[in-house]
Amino acid sequence: MKPFFFTRIQYTSGNWDTDQRMPSNLLHSLVEYTTIPIDEKEKVVQLNSNEIFKSPFCYLSGHKLVEFSTQERDHFRRYVQNGGFVFVDDCNHDIDGLFAKSFEQEMERTFGPRALQKIPNNHPLYHSFFKFADGPPTTSFELNGWGDDLVHDYLKAITVNGRIGVLYSNKDYGCEWDYDFRNKRFLAVDNTRFGVNIVVYALNE
Amino acid sequence: MSIILSESEAKALLQKVLAYSKADECEINLLGEERGNLRYARNEVSTSGSLINQNLSVQSSFGKKVGVATIDEFSDESLEKVVRRSEELAQLAPENPEYVSILEPQTYLKSTGFFESTAGINADKRADAVAKSLELSRAKNLTAAGFLDNQKGYSAMMNSKGLFAYYPSTSVNFSLTVRTPDGTGSGYIARGYSDVNKLDTAAATTIAIQKAMGSMKAKALEPGKYTVILEPTAAAVLLENIYFNFDARSADEGRSFLSKPGGKTKLGEKIVDERVNIYSDPTHPDLPASPWAGDGQPLDKITWIEKGVVKNMIYSRYWAQKNNVKAVPSPSNVIMDGGTATMEELIKSTKQGILVTKLWYIREVDPQTLLLTGLTRDGTFYIENGVIKHPVKNFRFNESPVIMLNNLETLGKSERVVSTESDRNYMIPPMKIREFTFSSLSDAV
Repeated sequence: MKPFFFTRIQYTSGNWDTDQRMPSNLLHSLVEYTTIPIDEKEKVVQLNSNEIFKSPFCYLSGHKLVEFSTQERDHFRRYVQNGGFVFVDDCNHDIDGLFAKSFEQEMERTFGPRALQKIPNNHPLYHSFFKFADGPPTTSFELNGWGDDLVHDYLKAITVNGRIGVLYSNKDYGCEWDYDFRNKRFLAVDNTRFGVNIVVYALNE
Repeated sequence: MSIILSESEAKALLQKVLAYSKADECEINLLGEERGNLRYARNEVSTSGSLINQNLSVQSSFGKKVGVATIDEFSDESLEKVVRRSEELAQLAPENPEYVSILEPQTYLKSTGFFESTAGINADKRADAVAKSLELSRAKNLTAAGFLDNQKGYSAMMNSKGLFAYYPSTSVNFSLTVRTPDGTGSGYIARGYSDVNKLDTAAATTIAIQKAMGSMKAKALEPGKYTVILEPTAAAVLLENIYFNFDARSADEGRSFLSKPGGKTKLGEKIVDERVNIYSDPTHPDLPASPWAGDGQPLDKITWIEKGVVKNMIYSRYWAQKNNVKAVPSPSNVIMDGGTATMEELIKSTKQGILVTKLWYIREVDPQTLLLTGLTRDGTFYIENGVIKHPVKNFRFNESPVIMLNNLETLGKSERVVSTESDRNYMIPPMKIREFTFSSLSDAV
């Protein structure tokens, strides 16, 4: 089995280089809990390059505008429709922030209206490795939301042939999992476990 | 008889009480205090109070059967009555398997916590100190509410093995909230001293006024992880939760943040940044405290965390005996060393961050990781490129002081602060912390 490598998508319109310590915390958890061999180094791939088609798992995040160029859009569509997996994570905590609004519009342009749908909280993703009986685990930023008393109790996805091709979260897991690795030992429960589920799902489905 | 007894008066009284004892062992604790306060709100004084209190507590034991009785009348008849009551209770009580015999006489450090300046405070002096504060808030058309409380007192103990201890002390505490007329700006200060000559109510009020005026019409920032500068008043209410949880038994039994799987503890392990040094010393000049614990154990200088490493834990005499180690009593004060940076330097060196002046309503979320939650209040500010840019709406936070001390960026100079949660005084530096977790917003000011 070739080692799993973490690919971060670099797109031209917004800030793609968020939460820089997150990937290593997630990779550490893959080593900790699974037997998946890993490549320790995060890969950054431009969306308009053909390199993207070599990655089984991609991560895309940001706070700002998501507006793909024609070539980026074509690559993103082909990558997802050919069986690729992208975990998209909104770094803002309001579901109406710039990233959320513009990314959702971009998905409409790319895959047509209503492609992005809520997934049920008993979706296989929530028991692909660890069990998350209540759907997506909460983060420390949404006890009562961004002044709106809102907890996002679902994730959305674009499904291709019965499997998730784009997993979309407004929960800012990237920031939740972005910390000095030495502080992981002080957590009562390792908060990156859901990341393991996402990777295992992406590799198995 | 006066409320505050001198050492010789206290000794004579305790000897008199002991003479009535027929128990195997007897231990007596005695305290007396006089307090005065002035409370004000809406720029007017509302209460002028005074309080006197004296209390005698007798613990008698027969073997491992223990009884305690207390009284606040000191006539011969009353003294005999309280001793008899404690003995009756002891006879009725089941055996306490954890009872440890009383101590032999001990020697104590010399600590000077009694100041004539503070002992001499009367209603006039309180009125003058508060008037200085009120003048300033009235002149600026702001609304002030505050409390000035002074105390003088002593504690003493004696037991049937000949141990005697006596410690007199004074304290003064001043706290103040200033609000703007529209209710959107709020500033707070709290000051606590042993020596009232160090208390400058006008200077303290000026700071609260600045915070109130500066915090009007705050803008909301998105919750998330931010670099924060915690003023000592804010840091105190987080750090004291570390101090409260240094008990070895809780750690051994798996109940505390110092526990490790398999019944082990973190004693000897580095748990925080190596610049963190936390210790206790009753003779500290800025934070004098009692040199003996309630059961007569001497409180010597002791290090809790040195260069980030856990050096000692608190062992009750019972738990120490059981584990064959030296007993370590609960400290009477806690000091955290600081660095050299001033508040101005901490702000100036911050590219993007939040200045937190006060945290309140602190509650424990998870005792085993010391995860706490609470809110900012009374002036929270956004810093950009080394300058305070604008006030921000208050946040709820979720953070463990242990993780916080691992994310330490800079320490300022240590100063005496009052915890707004427990009213205890500590020496704590202002600190700059990376990635402090604000979980949501609060509509309060």
